[in-house]
Amino acid sequence: MPSSQTPPAGATALDPTAVRPDIADARIHRVPAAELRATLERLKGEGFGMLLDVGGADYPGRELARFDVVYHLLRIGRTATTLAEVGAPDRVRVLCAVGEADPVLPTVTDLWPSADWAEREVYDLFGVRFDGHPDLRRIQMPDDWQGYPLRKDYPLRGPALERTPRPSFALKSNVAAGTPASGKTAAALQRQIAQARGNSSFAPGSVPAAAATPAQLAQQPVNLKTEDTKS
Amino acid sequence: MTTAIPESSYSVDVVERSANRMVLSMGPQHPSTHGVLQIITEIEGEIVTKASPEIGYLHTGIEKSAENLFWSQASTVIERMDYLSPLTNALCYYLAVEKLLGIDGEIPPRAQQVRVLLCELSRIASHCVWLGTGGIDLGALTGFFYCFDLRERILDLFEASGGARMHPNYIRVGGLGRDLPSGFLEKLDGVIAMYGPRMRDVRRLLQKNPILQDRMIDVGIIAADDALAWSLTGPTLRATGIPYDVRRAFPYGGYEAYDFDVITRTEGDSYARFLVRLDEMEQSMRIVRQVRDALKPGPIAIDDTKVMPPPKETIALSMEALIHHFKIMTEGFRVPPGDVYQAVEGPRGELGYYVVSDGGNRPYRVRTRPPSLYNLQALKGLAPGNLIADLVVIIGSLDPVFGEVDR
Repeated sequence: MPSSQTPPAGATALDPTAVRPDIADARIHRVPAAELRATLERLKGEGFGMLLDVGGADYPGRELARFDVVYHLLRIGRTATTLAEVGAPDRVRVLCAVGEADPVLPTVTDLWPSADWAEREVYDLFGVRFDGHPDLRRIQMPDDWQGYPLRKDYPLRGPALERTPRPSFALKSNVAAGTPASGKTAAALQRQIAQARGNSSFAPGSVPAAAATPAQLAQQPVNLKTEDTKS
Repeated sequence: MTTAIPESSYSVDVVERSANRMVLSMGPQHPSTHGVLQIITEIEGEIVTKASPEIGYLHTGIEKSAENLFWSQASTVIERMDYLSPLTNALCYYLAVEKLLGIDGEIPPRAQQVRVLLCELSRIASHCVWLGTGGIDLGALTGFFYCFDLRERILDLFEASGGARMHPNYIRVGGLGRDLPSGFLEKLDGVIAMYGPRMRDVRRLLQKNPILQDRMIDVGIIAADDALAWSLTGPTLRATGIPYDVRRAFPYGGYEAYDFDVITRTEGDSYARFLVRLDEMEQSMRIVRQVRDALKPGPIAIDDTKVMPPPKETIALSMEALIHHFKIMTEGFRVPPGDVYQAVEGPRGELGYYVVSDGGNRPYRVRTRPPSLYNLQALKGLAPGNLIADLVVIIGSLDPVFGEVDR
């Protein structure tokens, strides 16, 4: 799908992490996917006890594999009770490239429980999967969303894939909990969702069906497709 | 909204089943969830056995939007993440951009002072909201009005500086958008004078209140090890005894120049977090007073018209000024390629920005490290074993902001 994102003027770097200026914000390690776990375990052993963040970035067209998953670690005393014992905290950034064909990395949720939501978000927005994650599903986008919004080839606006807003909300809010919403049982809602999914004609990139009668329109799922005005 | 679990249609993973167990869905608009948070709780009687927070209801794609705006436009959406302290977000983002541009050492002192001043005022304003709404969660309605009145005076200062109460968009790459208006310092003195007596009132109302103490002491205890494992930062971490404060550990934006204490408690419960935030407000006011005394007239932005538009009054007089102004307004400025991580101490903890530039006039990637997301995530470990009524207290004591959690 062509991107409708405005290309930046004057962009020069395909891989900005390789040409970064000398900024002392953290020590940086770039590791291959096979060594990621070992590196993070070693750093944790060296006292980098806090996983501050797991983020992603997408660099299509660079020589390295397309996606970067970025781990920010912080060294901080585990039993420190005074400022002196904390000493000088230190930061480390671990970058790991992962390819488009099979974007899988090992999870670190067993090392740091806080990686749970962060890895889910990288999966949700970039499509990088984490092997061994206990509950890898979308976190920000609705459960039935298609595509990975923070990839560079995902359009900023344009062919929207918002096919069944109401049922997917129900899926997130009520059905998962098994509670009836508005008098409907969970099973009825599940059926409604399955029906809506089956009926949907708004596959990515497809043209909406020709005009239908109001009665037919009422049967169709809500379509929020808007014309791309940007490109 | 509650129901006993039907054996057949239940689709959340259950650790164990018993006749007493039920699932209760709190939110996404429950008043005590402080935003569009949904918590699917499993309860036995009144005891929570499992809590699964569901987020994403306020996801607006801010990181994606920022990639499509000029470097200086992006702060418009970035300020809307943590909408209770927008200046902290903007400051952190701009510090990162300034590092990429290599101008982080050239920011004039007055600009740095005003940035620190407004960021500390936002911390106080943000804690006012936490204190007011946290009191409401527990039935203490009066404190809310005292806190919001104080917050409103601070928002008046933001309005005077940047033009808007909530999202002043006042900070720029290289300094500030404009100088403080005349009359600002008098208003600031008014807030400083009002702060002491007002907080004494609030403390008298809330801090020693036996009902509040009963509800908060020993509720939602976090051990220091757990706090590190769950990546907690800010007052939540400091309430477990670890004195990690970004302002002290990695000073930025001129914080080295001010005296303040890093407040810690060792109890780790909701009341400890309550006290840490209250005492932190005093420290913020201490910094505000120091900045007020140190504030001297001077330039408010770097003298580099490649990134900072030239003063408006020079445009009619100088062709070059006009050209630079036109270039910056129509195509922005370019930032050398590279990536940088910058963190500041937000009201909720370590707020970090991982900013990537590919050499163009728009950010290539802006990744936020939202403290609220990580603090809220710890609810999974905190809630089990607590009363369902205490869940409300625990959420309040974590102080999540959903603009930041969902972005």
